[in-house]
Amino acid sequence: MAKIIPILKDITEANNQIAAGLRERFRRNKALVLDIIASPGAGKTSLLERTIERLKDELRIVVIEGDPTSTLDADRVEAAGVSAVQINTDGGCHLEAAMIRSALGPDGLESDAADVIIIENVGNLLCPTGWDLGEDAKVVVASLPEGDDKPLKYPMAFLTAQAVVINKIDLEPYVPAKVARLRANALAINPGLAVFEVSCLTGQGLDAWLDWVRQKLAAKRAA
Amino acid sequence: MHEMPVAQHVLNLALQAAGRGRVTDIYLRVGELSAVVPSSVDVFFAHLSRSTPAEHARLHFEIVPPAVQCLKCGQPADLSCWRDLPPMQAVARALAAGCPCGDHQLRVTDGTGFELTKILVEDDL
Repeated sequence: MAKIIPILKDITEANNQIAAGLRERFRRNKALVLDIIASPGAGKTSLLERTIERLKDELRIVVIEGDPTSTLDADRVEAAGVSAVQINTDGGCHLEAAMIRSALGPDGLESDAADVIIIENVGNLLCPTGWDLGEDAKVVVASLPEGDDKPLKYPMAFLTAQAVVINKIDLEPYVPAKVARLRANALAINPGLAVFEVSCLTGQGLDAWLDWVRQKLAAKRAA
Repeated sequence: MHEMPVAQHVLNLALQAAGRGRVTDIYLRVGELSAVVPSSVDVFFAHLSRSTPAEHARLHFEIVPPAVQCLKCGQPADLSCWRDLPPMQAVARALAAGCPCGDHQLRVTDGTGFELTKILVEDDL
């Protein structure tokens, strides 16, 4: 005989439970955790490289690299001077909390000693927005040449983020997209966003971004 | 392609709830903003459920449209003006337009989730 079993659970519930465990661990260790989301080629790894170069003497940084198949990004991050843990998603398009947990390991000595853990999510503006990794903030990197209408095309990414880094602003003279329009569109979707206009190539605008990271860490330590 | 891990989560939850029974039907609520494609979940589920008590289970998808609400006055946004647009775009327009009360802090209150609501189970022989 058939019987009905009510469940009413979100599919992400198992993920959310693991993420809650990670968040507690990060809270205890007072580590700031940032989940970097962007489309492929927006400059996630470049932002990491610049951030590491500028902060590595001041803060202990660990990077978790999500990449469909390669170790290219992890190699770049390690070359910049910090340790990186590579997660290959085998073609999967987003990271899940269980992957972060196993990347950090059961003892996770290195990450437990970190001030800042930066997670570079898989290049994709859709699915990573729905998966909690125990982070303090999601950060969207949107590069100018992609178009200034990105926030209108992918509102969930900008809605779930606390900050947006507009990258490649040095290309403004050469592309139709405008920095001011990209900023306005991002703020139209989410007025609470912190917006940074940077060029990871020239270094322009990075100071404000680095200050935001320092402030988020200070807030985490004070909590 | 992220429908594969999604289908795996559906399968895990269903098997867990079914105990020793055979799962014949699985009822899901899919938000239009969830970035999950039901037909793709179907394909992966059929593959992943092979040789499990949920093999051949039928998936039933209830599509949940997005809802947007003003954080200040609590008014739901009227998405019908953008009904010709895909849901994600309609929500973007509504967020960008702000609330008639003049406030711009809106939030998405529905249509982002992907829920398993119930399963039908037949007792094994």
